[in-house]
Amino acid sequence: MPSPVGRWLQVKACGLVQKSSSLAKVLLFSAVDQAATRRSQPEAVHCTNTQKIEKMGRSTATKDAQALFRTLHSAYAATPTNLKIIDLYIVFAVVTAVIQVVYMAIVGSFPFNSFLSGLLSCVGTAVLAVCLRIQVNKENKEFKDLPPERAFADFVLCNVVLHLVIMNFLG
Amino acid sequence: MAALETPQSSTLRQAFGNVIKYESVIHEFDPYFNYRVTQFLTKNGIYDFWNWFDDRTWYPLGRVIGGTVYPGLTLTAGTLWRIMNSLNIPLSVETVCVFTAPIFSAFASWAAYLLTKEVKGVGAGLTAAALLAMVPSYISRSVAGSYDNEAVAIFALIFTFYLYIKALNTGSLFYATLNAISYFYMVCSWGGYTFIINLIPMHVLLCIVTGRYSSRLYIAYAPLVVLGTLLASLVPVVGFNAVMTSEHFASFLVFIIIHVVALVYYIKGILSPQMFKVAVTLVVSIGLIVCGAVLAVLIAMVASSPTKGWSGRSLSLLDPTYASKYIPIIASVSEHQPPTWPSYFMDINVLAFLVPAGIIACFLPLSDASSFAVLYIVTSVYFSGVMVRLMLVLAPAACIMSGIALSEAFGVFTRSIKFQLPGVTQNSPVNAGDTGNVMQNDVVKTEKSEDSLKERPSRKNKKKEKDNVERATVVPKTEKRLSVLPLEASVIAIFLLVLLGAFYVVHCVWAAAEAYSAPSIVLTSRSHDGLHVFDDFREAYGWLRHNTEVDDKVASWWDYGYQTTAMANRTVIVDNNTWNNTHIATVGTAMSSPEKAAWEIFNSLDVKYVLVVFGGLVGYPSDDINKFLWMVRIGGGVFPHIKEPDYLRDGQYRIDSQATPTMLNSLMYKLSYYRFVETDGKGFDRVRNTEIGKKYFKLTHFEEVFTTHHWMVRLYKLKPPKNRIRGKTKKAKSKASSKRSGTLKKNPWH
Repeated sequence: MPSPVGRWLQVKACGLVQKSSSLAKVLLFSAVDQAATRRSQPEAVHCTNTQKIEKMGRSTATKDAQALFRTLHSAYAATPTNLKIIDLYIVFAVVTAVIQVVYMAIVGSFPFNSFLSGLLSCVGTAVLAVCLRIQVNKENKEFKDLPPERAFADFVLCNVVLHLVIMNFLG
Repeated sequence: MAALETPQSSTLRQAFGNVIKYESVIHEFDPYFNYRVTQFLTKNGIYDFWNWFDDRTWYPLGRVIGGTVYPGLTLTAGTLWRIMNSLNIPLSVETVCVFTAPIFSAFASWAAYLLTKEVKGVGAGLTAAALLAMVPSYISRSVAGSYDNEAVAIFALIFTFYLYIKALNTGSLFYATLNAISYFYMVCSWGGYTFIINLIPMHVLLCIVTGRYSSRLYIAYAPLVVLGTLLASLVPVVGFNAVMTSEHFASFLVFIIIHVVALVYYIKGILSPQMFKVAVTLVVSIGLIVCGAVLAVLIAMVASSPTKGWSGRSLSLLDPTYASKYIPIIASVSEHQPPTWPSYFMDINVLAFLVPAGIIACFLPLSDASSFAVLYIVTSVYFSGVMVRLMLVLAPAACIMSGIALSEAFGVFTRSIKFQLPGVTQNSPVNAGDTGNVMQNDVVKTEKSEDSLKERPSRKNKKKEKDNVERATVVPKTEKRLSVLPLEASVIAIFLLVLLGAFYVVHCVWAAAEAYSAPSIVLTSRSHDGLHVFDDFREAYGWLRHNTEVDDKVASWWDYGYQTTAMANRTVIVDNNTWNNTHIATVGTAMSSPEKAAWEIFNSLDVKYVLVVFGGLVGYPSDDINKFLWMVRIGGGVFPHIKEPDYLRDGQYRIDSQATPTMLNSLMYKLSYYRFVETDGKGFDRVRNTEIGKKYFKLTHFEEVFTTHHWMVRLYKLKPPKNRIRGKTKKAKSKASSKRSGTLKKNPWH
């Protein structure tokens, strides 16, 4: 005979399981796994199968995350090479900015103008590269009349202005 | 463009009106300081200007000019002077300074044309430019001689907005770069640049929230934030405030938001809808936690500073009662008071009721640019209601809106007339293309026009829209006939609109000639025997310049500081910059104290001369006795022994026989009314309209050295301390001096 506390705990666990199973139902709708069809009766959950269902719920989430990353990866692999090069440049700029911030956190921000100009130069080049990518991307209908040479020339001009200011502000 | 020249020439003609009436002279108070700075710049070059420490003002503290002045105006005028002189056109610095403002007001009207053209079209642009050319509010700050920051800053404001809208409409990075450079010019020119850096993020947020996000928005906004912050930090006045004060945080917040939104749109584009839902649930759960943590840190940082990071002036914009409670100096400036209702009609006249029509016209159809115009007018109306000085920011917005309204109205009426004139056939769809670009969507509700409304791409696809319009006009003419106004009504309406415009022009010319042309350094009045000219200020400054030593210090209320340093070339104690409240409170306390105490205070500051402005003989209302209560309040804010109720009788401020003894003994009273009874025998003060209280008295510690022709400016010299002290005090003093070998002069601060 289960004690009142034990009974209460069981009820709580049932509720939790049902909540997690409904979440799993939502996730399941978007999963393209063949394994999902096996678990498509969450209403028939019994409290006795709590542990098995919980483990399945958690693994559904991770499976969905993995499926998501796989689709993202495959979709991204389809982008043309020139855009991928620009993306690499953006990643480089952002990583440099992060390194600068970490360095400032360790060493202190004394010549604040130098820190600011270094950080903003990285952020600025990242932003400008994103703008270039937007304008050069062939899938962008708004910019299909814009020749990519003009986009690149704008990019270079803006970078020149940005770096002129940074050189001045660097101290 | 030929039509554009007339608005500009009318601006110039109005701005020069007062040069014709008075002479080429610099007005008011602040322009004198700017003029002095420009003189220094042209004489010594830019490096000395950048590092200039001024010791002729705020004695004994001095002022770091290079780091506390907005250099845009002086650099512009200096460059103009340099160019003129290198072309062998020998203009003096004063001439260049006096005429800078009208030149830039003409540029501002051109910028307003460009901005409104981007929002609505060429017709609206021309109307807006014509309206801005004459609006009294802007004329008041851009007359020839008003050499103040706003003269250049309003042009920079409108031009920056134009470049932002152009970048938004075309998605061109080139215009975004130009936008950042123009924003830099605005930061150099005026403290009101915070309006731009808060309005543009607000507009971006509005576009995102209403579902109008596009990659053009990203290109228009993101480079502006990065470049703009960097360029703003370059200006010494702003420096690191560009990243540390709350006024700029909005732009950073929206910068982060727009990146998040851009990422979301990008991922949405490459994923299928189901996978997108997965991604959303995953990200939302993690992201919420991270965001909450970051927000908590930020709030803790901002809340730890007492004003939450905002400066006093900005806080008084958000909470209009803040200044009157905490900072009496900001509350005492007459430009910082809220405007009265009549001042709206005086300053923007007819535009006040054309603006709502313009707002409605902006919604038909709503585009990114027109939503920006609506946001601009709404925020500027709020801010102009807080401070009368900011009516100047309202003026361009009101002109743009009214220009749109007028041009739309004219379009409707003229089209009604055109389609109802007998003998007119239907082969004029080409004309409908330009002005009808907007009206088409109102009049003809076919699917094609709705398509052109929905897919609002960049302006390059105007050709496609034109095709749509031409196809749409082939639609049966009966539909158009139905929504056209009757012929007589249209004719009368056009006539009335022209009459409205005529009234506006008449009012503007009158306002510019009578109300805003006065250089307050020279006053005039009409009487039965002609025009009287009161040139007392320049007389007093000239006397100071020629009859005192170069190193003599002059004490006066802070209003006259700039003029004294510029025209009299003497060191002053406090001036219009009002950056040091305690110093101003010291001078205020001295003016409110009895003669002996005031002498002590002034002596400790090495003051030689005291300057007092008095309007009682001629009826000049802005004299020091009228400003005296502010001196008491500001002094009392720092030195608690000055209490305002001591100077009021039953809560009323009086200077007649019912005045309190503290008032009658104060230095300001004595210096203003010394020997005043000799003028008419009764001592009748024309400003306060009473006879004064104490009529016959002598000054013990000051001596009068000069009073101008109309008694408007009075100069006094501090008497040197006596060599011997006679009478009872001698024994007490000798006892005291035997105890300590102190000097006769007591330091009032110990």
